[in-house]
Amino acid sequence: MTLPVIKNYIDGEWVESNTEVFGDIMNPALGEKIAQVPYGTKEDVDMAVAAARKAYPEWRKTPPITRARYLFRLKEAFEEQFEEIAEILTTEQGKAIDESRGEVRRMIENVEHATGVTTMMTGYCLEDIAKGVDCSLQRQPMGVFAAIAPYNFPGMVPWWFLPYAIVTGNTFILKPSEQVPMTQAKVFEIIDGVGFPEGVVNTVNGSRDVVNALLDHPDIEGISFVGATPTAKYIYERCGATGKRVQALGGAKNIVAIMPDAKIDAAMPSLITSFFGCAGQRCLSGSILAPVGEVADELIEKFISSTKAMKIGSGLDEQTGMGPVISGAHRDRILAYIEKGIEEGADLILDGRDFSHPDFPNGYFVGPTIFDNVTPDMTIAKEEIFGPVVSIVRAKTLDDVVDLINTRGFANAACVYTQNAAVVRQFKYQVNPAMIGVNIGIAAPMSFFPFGGSGNSMFGDLKGHGREIFQFYTDAKVVIERYF
Amino acid sequence: MPLINFGSILGFAEGMEKQNLDFFLSAANTPGCAAYQSLFDGLIKNSRKHIKDIQRTRRENVTEMILESIEGFFREPFVLETKHAPGMDVDGIFKTAGTLIERSIRYYGEAAVKLKGQSEVSGTLKNLGKKYKRDLDKLVK
Repeated sequence: MTLPVIKNYIDGEWVESNTEVFGDIMNPALGEKIAQVPYGTKEDVDMAVAAARKAYPEWRKTPPITRARYLFRLKEAFEEQFEEIAEILTTEQGKAIDESRGEVRRMIENVEHATGVTTMMTGYCLEDIAKGVDCSLQRQPMGVFAAIAPYNFPGMVPWWFLPYAIVTGNTFILKPSEQVPMTQAKVFEIIDGVGFPEGVVNTVNGSRDVVNALLDHPDIEGISFVGATPTAKYIYERCGATGKRVQALGGAKNIVAIMPDAKIDAAMPSLITSFFGCAGQRCLSGSILAPVGEVADELIEKFISSTKAMKIGSGLDEQTGMGPVISGAHRDRILAYIEKGIEEGADLILDGRDFSHPDFPNGYFVGPTIFDNVTPDMTIAKEEIFGPVVSIVRAKTLDDVVDLINTRGFANAACVYTQNAAVVRQFKYQVNPAMIGVNIGIAAPMSFFPFGGSGNSMFGDLKGHGREIFQFYTDAKVVIERYF
Repeated sequence: MPLINFGSILGFAEGMEKQNLDFFLSAANTPGCAAYQSLFDGLIKNSRKHIKDIQRTRRENVTEMILESIEGFFREPFVLETKHAPGMDVDGIFKTAGTLIERSIRYYGEAAVKLKGQSEVSGTLKNLGKKYKRDLDKLVK
């Protein structure tokens, strides 16, 4: 059987990559090939940049309200094809269908937020900064921007950037993850139907060669990236060398603290979602569960019980709570971390290593895994596992938890479960991560707030979506004027 | 089988509405029901609207928080096997239509309680139940 091959979308046309190298796109629940993706080339990138650059002058002149109208049309088209996008997403990524629906919702919310451009992009002015002299600031688009997306959110993450880039008058190139490009291929079909001017939005598929071509291209003004920390750092440094704006969001080691007064029963569903949603492959996933004081035993008992009740299977089954991980290679990486945890002396109290689904024997499943009595110096307490593996670090005091959080290097998100406002204040005041959940297991900012961590979890100044993204995609021009 | 999350509850509702719609469509095309054409046309129109309402509610309200598990809700009490209307007499058609509508009222009532933390969703489900109560009142020969 011939597999479908993903194409690039450049200058308003679907075009084949000029590469001879292709990768397989897998259905991770079945362990089967479902399509092929071209590992594009520098020439593909050059073609996309040329198209985007050619489109920029006219697009920039298009009034912001008119640009926003394209997004209104796009939102409607996304709503109409909502289920289809969600199903493709689950098929190639593996996550539960409701998670995919939630992701498509988040994607659309970014389109909705971006339509506020006529407010969000406005500048400001002040008369008489000196006698007879006025000063104003106006925000101007800059040219061609690009984004490099990860495999864990193939629908949402590109839309943390794309709608804002174009609504502010820039043109755009997306490189989807080579593991999950089908969702954006579908999305770009919808974009094609909406009728953007040629070259305003483009996509180039590929891997490292495409990334490097984007990073080095002199006609690209800025790069947005979401992925692992080493790559984020690499992208940050390389963009610095070529003088680009950059926002590079990296990995995480998120800690969820449970205080003795926490309402455990009420908290349990959100804890399960935090640690096992998307099979732990989220930069906001809980990774370390840190019960404080005497709450530990009761918490752990209930946490294990709820974990065991979760259904594991194909994400397309509405009953599924947790699907497979993205690939066989990633499953092996997670299993290696579990072995490391055992080797370093943590207590394996729920073992997911041998999980096998009877209906999906070739799927890339890892069963939920829980370690107790993990210490802060163990590898599984320090490194990002990106899988359904929970490390329980028992803490004596809140200070211990704060110290644990602030010594991980990563500083993406942290959560605390408590009813005590003084504890909350201390927690949010002292911890380094930039996204905080209070009785929330996934501290995910919605489109109208910024998304991004600190420390080794983010390289760059301006974060994804929120108000800041309008600054990322525009240059602030200050005009000082007087007349004789 | 349990209805353990937002998607499965809304998914069951969508399936239930499609079953209702199929039956109402077949009833409307049954010669014996010609005298009740406007009644069944109304039920068909409502079911189509309900399906759209459910799909929109699912699209607009699915978030991470709504993925949290739900306990104590099962599909079995709401599963009905129905024959197609052309094989039935008018009494049988009205009886089956009534059973389907009563089932829908029960389902929406219980589902609204299970999803009460999501007021938009819960409100939509309650409204669908109310609409079916009005339909049930109209279901008289």
